[in-house]
Amino acid sequence: MTDDDHVFKALADPTRRHLLDQLFERDGRTLTELETDLEMTRFGVMKHLRVLEDAGLVVTRRQGREKLHFLNPVPIRLIHDRWIDKYAERRVSALSELKTRLEGRR
Amino acid sequence: MTTTVAQTTQVYQVFIKASAEQIWEAITRPEWTARYFHGAHITVTPERYDSRSADGDLWGDSAVEVFEPPRKLVHGWRSMYDPEMAAEEESRVTWEIDEDEQGVCLLTVTHDRLEGAPKTAASVSGAGWTGVISALKTLLETGKPLY
Repeated sequence: MTDDDHVFKALADPTRRHLLDQLFERDGRTLTELETDLEMTRFGVMKHLRVLEDAGLVVTRRQGREKLHFLNPVPIRLIHDRWIDKYAERRVSALSELKTRLEGRR
Repeated sequence: MTTTVAQTTQVYQVFIKASAEQIWEAITRPEWTARYFHGAHITVTPERYDSRSADGDLWGDSAVEVFEPPRKLVHGWRSMYDPEMAAEEESRVTWEIDEDEQGVCLLTVTHDRLEGAPKTAASVSGAGWTGVISALKTLLETGKPLY
């Protein structure tokens, strides 16, 4: 799998997107904090966090006895640069081309 | 959209297909930083982190805490390009470069001690550091600036 595959796979799950949203609201959380509002076993949450870590979307740091989870938004930015920009731009230029052509007809 | 308090510790990570030495050059020399860091001309010496606009305006001037080429750089951060942010307390930026055997590096940027700098924290989070880091990756891997 390429890096992009890992990111798309990680994002293709509502629980994992929920975990990212939680970290977006407040970063640097422990597993215990993250599992409180999920109806899922601790192992289930750990498995999802592992997928997010493998995709580089979550980075962990040890702080004393605790392991803190941080959101890393860089892979999403790279997906944005690679995919969203490209197609959105083409659409915009196609529209402006159409506009030029229609206006030229007048 | 949820409103959120900007984080006082922010971690950014990316793999870059470049050597640790190249990445070190790119983060410490003005001819490189000008091409991906909002046009900032940044010069890092073992003592000082100095950032200037193309016109020479001071955008950043902080002490360097750790200078271990090409692995680790720690320096203070004050957003001097904005008067309100410049008045806030100084925060800290740590660059860590870990190279694997295939010549691919994992770059980790940690911006912390942001408790006394809420405006700076909000401004560098999200598009701030992500934009700089993805532009650095693109520049090193393709030789072209992103913008």
